[in-house]
Amino acid sequence: MLPVEHLHLEHVLQTVSVLESVILRSFGPEGGQVLFIRDTGQAMLSRSGTHILTALRLDHPLARMVVECVLKHSSVTGDGSKTFILLLASLLRMIHTAACKGTNVSHAYNSRKAAEAATARHLADKLLAFALEELADVIAMGVVPYGYCISWEDFTAKTQSPAHTNNNCVQKLLASFFLSRLGRTHCDFISNLTCELLSHWKFKNNQPPFTLQFVNDNLPALHTPVSGFPISCSRLIEGQVIHRDFATPCPQTDHHPVKAVVFTRYLQPKLLSAGEVLELGYGEQGKERSIVQFSAWAERSLECVIANLQSLGVSVILSAVKQSAAVLALAAQADMCIVECVSEDELSLFAQLSGARPASDCWMIESDHVATLTFCRPILLGAHRYVFLSHPYSVQVKPCSLVICGPGEGQTDQYACAFRDAIHMLPSKRTLQSNKNTSLEMENQIASAPPFQKCVLEPGCVIPAGGTFEFLLNHALLQHHGRSCSVSDDTNMGIPAVSQLLANVLLSLPRQIYSHSPRCFLQTQTRLLKADVSSKVFMLDLGLESVSCKYQLLLAVLQCVSSLLQVDAVLRTQTALRTQSHRLPNISWEGTEDEAEE
Amino acid sequence: MSRLVKKSPSLCTDLPLDNTDIRNKLHLLWQLLRSCFGPTGRLKQVHNNIGGHVVTTSTSSVLLPAISSSQPFINLIKTSILNHVSRFSDCGLFAAILCLSLIERAKRSGLRGSVAISVNKHLLGLCTGYLQGEDCGCKVKLDFCSSLSLIKLSRSIISSKPACVLTEAEAVHISKLAVQAFLLTVPCNSPGIVRLGKIVTVSVEGHSVLNSAVFPGLLVDMPDVFGLNKVENLHSNPLRVVLFSASLAGDLSELGDGIIEVHPGVDTDAQILDQLLELGKRVVAEEVKLFVCQKVIHPVLQQYLRRHGIIVIERLGINVMEPLTQLTGAQPVATLHTTIPAKAYGKVRDVDIRQFGSKTMLHLHPPGESAICTMILCHRNETMLSELKVVCQKTEHVLRLTLREPSALLGGGCTETHLAAYVRHKSMNEVTETASALGCTQTEYFLGVEGFCRSLESVAAALEHDGGNCLIDLTHAHHWTLPADVITEHMEDSLGLCGCGVMQSSPNKKWTYLSTKYPQFSPAPLSRDTTVQPRVLDSFTAKLNALQVAVETANLALDVRYVIQDTN
Repeated sequence: MLPVEHLHLEHVLQTVSVLESVILRSFGPEGGQVLFIRDTGQAMLSRSGTHILTALRLDHPLARMVVECVLKHSSVTGDGSKTFILLLASLLRMIHTAACKGTNVSHAYNSRKAAEAATARHLADKLLAFALEELADVIAMGVVPYGYCISWEDFTAKTQSPAHTNNNCVQKLLASFFLSRLGRTHCDFISNLTCELLSHWKFKNNQPPFTLQFVNDNLPALHTPVSGFPISCSRLIEGQVIHRDFATPCPQTDHHPVKAVVFTRYLQPKLLSAGEVLELGYGEQGKERSIVQFSAWAERSLECVIANLQSLGVSVILSAVKQSAAVLALAAQADMCIVECVSEDELSLFAQLSGARPASDCWMIESDHVATLTFCRPILLGAHRYVFLSHPYSVQVKPCSLVICGPGEGQTDQYACAFRDAIHMLPSKRTLQSNKNTSLEMENQIASAPPFQKCVLEPGCVIPAGGTFEFLLNHALLQHHGRSCSVSDDTNMGIPAVSQLLANVLLSLPRQIYSHSPRCFLQTQTRLLKADVSSKVFMLDLGLESVSCKYQLLLAVLQCVSSLLQVDAVLRTQTALRTQSHRLPNISWEGTEDEAEE
Repeated sequence: MSRLVKKSPSLCTDLPLDNTDIRNKLHLLWQLLRSCFGPTGRLKQVHNNIGGHVVTTSTSSVLLPAISSSQPFINLIKTSILNHVSRFSDCGLFAAILCLSLIERAKRSGLRGSVAISVNKHLLGLCTGYLQGEDCGCKVKLDFCSSLSLIKLSRSIISSKPACVLTEAEAVHISKLAVQAFLLTVPCNSPGIVRLGKIVTVSVEGHSVLNSAVFPGLLVDMPDVFGLNKVENLHSNPLRVVLFSASLAGDLSELGDGIIEVHPGVDTDAQILDQLLELGKRVVAEEVKLFVCQKVIHPVLQQYLRRHGIIVIERLGINVMEPLTQLTGAQPVATLHTTIPAKAYGKVRDVDIRQFGSKTMLHLHPPGESAICTMILCHRNETMLSELKVVCQKTEHVLRLTLREPSALLGGGCTETHLAAYVRHKSMNEVTETASALGCTQTEYFLGVEGFCRSLESVAAALEHDGGNCLIDLTHAHHWTLPADVITEHMEDSLGLCGCGVMQSSPNKKWTYLSTKYPQFSPAPLSRDTTVQPRVLDSFTAKLNALQVAVETANLALDVRYVIQDTN
């Protein structure tokens, strides 16, 4: 007989509250970092909710189910995992209170707990139904008018003029993203750096999304982490960094331009490949065949390759593999320098920027394999000496690399990671905004929400951060509640209660944000509710967040609650670890959920 | 068998800095590092549990890696400091002590984490702005016209490492050598981008420190004195050099993965040896006098070359290869069959033999001007010698940093007290605007400032280990030490000079104890026409970075609210 563990509402609430207490430590302006020590002993810092939740390695099936939901949500929007947990906890708490109060109505259940569970489940379903049907409209009426629409014009305007213009929405958006990921101290500095990088990589003939895609794809090759320096030393440098050192003495003279070739294979021919047999002794004609002849032939052929490269004027060889000592020596004698073991990412970026084809066969080098560079020299970044090269300016863009400095590796990693996610987040905002033009992106929308709600999503609307969305929606929901009360007296009793409950849940977020001073909470709320729709200057310093992301978040939380409350028991099955069981992948909650379906 | 093992849940610590155990550990680390700081710092002996040799040190770069802790917090701080030291070689203990006391004071002040962090960051900005500014009162320009200030700088570094156990005269000797070696690596007349040369350090145990010396050129180990008796004949200046980077032992690498079938009667080894001797013949014909190989040379070839009056050096090692190519202008050869182009040969002006204790070394003189030099370091025993070697490398690095930024900071704790006084004064003047910009109350701001300044001052106070009292004068805000056994009436007589040695005690000066509250004042800069030069100087670049790293690391530590340890 399997051990059955009955799940009650309190258990669910308890589990989620534990998660909440962890998340709270890094939530909002008062929140801090979480330090992880990996199983390898490596330290990692993060404020990202998804990182924290996955690093916990939870055991409880319910908690794992919640984490799964959060990950699913944040993989779509790239953000909002901490808010997810807080909303979830607060929602469950409200439902719990409501369920405890409302249970005496029903008599059909054989225990009070079961009755509570039924009420809670019912309430959750109603909440979800309400959100699916009406929430979009409420947001459209009550929140969207206070928002802005960001467009690419803002983006380009910002990056050309220095900071501090009022409509640099992209920078604000990035700033609030970095605020939530890196903390207050460096968020402005890093968001400026990001904008600067994006403006450098603006391809003249292409749409901005192309830039984002390009930077996103090439980020590993575009940044260099350097530890031992303060974060404020992070900077952009114009040119491409190859994260390897010269294998031969580096070029002594700076003759311009520099010609370079990329090789993907060995330059020295292998005498014998596997499976071949070399016979040493006396040949048919009585001529002696000695091993020395073979190696002499190999060296001569190598000399020819180098001579050929020299005739093409090549002075830099970038190689994907390690070359033999003979290659290095001969190249050095021919005044060429070699960079070995260059990573694939860097070679692909190099090929894109230079337009030269990588050469795989050293016998077939033609002029289209030869790239022209303005310079190629060593650069010292932290402990390492790297190769720094620059492509001629004719390539539409100003290629530049990002140097991320930090006192330790934990920090540079954290910054690089936040940087990647920020670039990742931006296209998703773009998608929301530009779906008038492209039908492809529309499908993403429809997949996540019923079609009639696109009125909310369409504007790609952003709103000041710092609880603005929650205050406004709370207000709108309460008004909605009032209206539906007067319109339909007792035919639809559920809806007003539901919208009121949701409104209260929303306020839990700004309560956390302003947890250090309740006065600030009230001040902000009053100021917002008094504010005129047209006066959009309020709280520009708080950063921005996307309305549609918030909406999707609410829906995801409600969905999660209703599925959480569906579960009524956990069955702990025993699986011997040694036998390769087919049931291993779904050992946890997935199985129990099936059981719970009545 | 399946390797699937159940993952155990992670170990979590909520609000680690509120945890007394962690606070105690941090305090212990602070005490440990504080006791090592400065010229009179106490030494630490590091030895492991399996009976390895004992290391005596007070240097952060040796000490910190030896401290291993299960506490991730300690490791976080340790890594930051070690990263700083590996980039700048100096001010590691300064950064560590400052960082730890910033953390402790911020926690003790009871400020909210985010407020403490933003105040610290703001004050750091004040400090860096002041230090980099023109009118900074604790910075001196380095004068490259005389080596005096460079020697002072290197002397301050060397004397701050008591584990070297140097007498006054020895410390002066080593400081001079360090500066001499550094100057030799700066090329005099090379146009365009200046490439600094290299100092190759050779350590010799069992000799007096005063026997240490610096030679232009390269000294390479010559274990085999046997072949050297003909050296005297080598005076066909300059000598031709050939340099091999491939093995000449008769092995053929790069053959591939195929199978080799050898018919009976074929002697492959002899064929290869013939080929090597062929190479030897060519080299002799080219009148090469010095034959160097990074790897092993076949004994028969060695014998052949020696018979023809060629000096043979084998197993040179990769580290000396680059300086040797720079010195001789030779290009390494790695092919056996192709003809060696004329420009691959290098030159040395002269060779002679030098004897250091049991070590016989061949001194290769550069043909022209060269930025390569060799530093022979001697010391009485291994422990002191290894510390001396570390110190000399650090000194070289710090001296190099002065080329980028030719400034130095006043040493002896004066920069710290001066900076603290400046921060107090500055923050007092602009409290209203700053507090509102940082989003905190004025009281919170003052608490933050107090913690920051006290931390800076505590670093200056950490220089004192003999129970003396630390004082600050109320005009220039320099750091003074009052020995423990002095009665306060004769204070100005027993104070002597301030920490950096630029100021002398006089009856019209006013002092106060560092630990007491003093009225804020604007610290006066040094008078321009002063003839007195500071005796103790600190590296500007290293200290500036150390200050930034310390504050950022402290801020990071204050920002960590939760620790998750994966125990799998």
